[in-house]
Amino acid sequence: MKIDAHLQKFRRLDAMLARLDPVADRELWIWTAMNSGVHLLNAALHHVGTTDATDSFHTQVEGLYAVPDRNRGTLRDCLQAPGDVMHFGQPPLARPVPAPILRAGEALREIEDLREPFVRGDSVPPNGAEAGWSAAYDACITGLCKQLGIARQAA
Amino acid sequence: MKVAAHLAKAERIGASLARCTTADYETVIEGCMLAGTHLFNLLLHEAGLRRDDQDAMHSEFLGAGERRKIAIRLPGVLEAMDTIESLRTGYVRGDLPGGEAAAGRAFASLAELRRQAAALAARG
Repeated sequence: MKIDAHLQKFRRLDAMLARLDPVADRELWIWTAMNSGVHLLNAALHHVGTTDATDSFHTQVEGLYAVPDRNRGTLRDCLQAPGDVMHFGQPPLARPVPAPILRAGEALREIEDLREPFVRGDSVPPNGAEAGWSAAYDACITGLCKQLGIARQAA
Repeated sequence: MKVAAHLAKAERIGASLARCTTADYETVIEGCMLAGTHLFNLLLHEAGLRRDDQDAMHSEFLGAGERRKIAIRLPGVLEAMDTIESLRTGYVRGDLPGGEAAAGRAFASLAELRRQAAALAARG
């Protein structure tokens, strides 16, 4: 997607996350934090030219995109160079990723790695674990906002 | 995962979803996908179509043969799951207009999966 569209998505999801409790709403908190971070990651990757800001959406299949026809309201499949990433490292990127974005991506990966045990699986996290998750999310968002030269909340 | 664990996860996610509205469409679609996938696996295990140590992750990636078996044994279940999955690209990863209507479709599909799970439990 285009950078502005990613930023709109990020701000909607970041605001949603603030309404969720990382303990009571653990599953939705983890998933929303991941989606929020991925949109901001895509904005940052487009901003520095590592990936292209195209009007296309990543599908569930790595490297497969859906291109909207804005007049007809339809989608068509397309194989193209990234483009948006689905997750940090998926698809792999040919162009270099600046170190601050790599660090933010590693923090995002901490959130992504919570999906298997705590969302798809029924593991119970140790007491207080959510503080570490929030710290990883904040590190990711702060780093990416700095890279983009934007405030976390829209003016 | 065991049937009881899938049900407990679906109920937890459902409780979080109950505090969302269709205006929160990205989160609603994703939450319905997560709760729906737990119910989908519960139904597959209960119907003897998948062992409880072989959870499915995405209905759309199941093989054609398995999908045909599910369509016969659990009519309507694949359609509900596929509907939720189909909304993710355009409204969560993408910015198509009509997100609130899409969230309404996700809620309706999750309700169908809940109905099917309850019906299967009632049949014992």
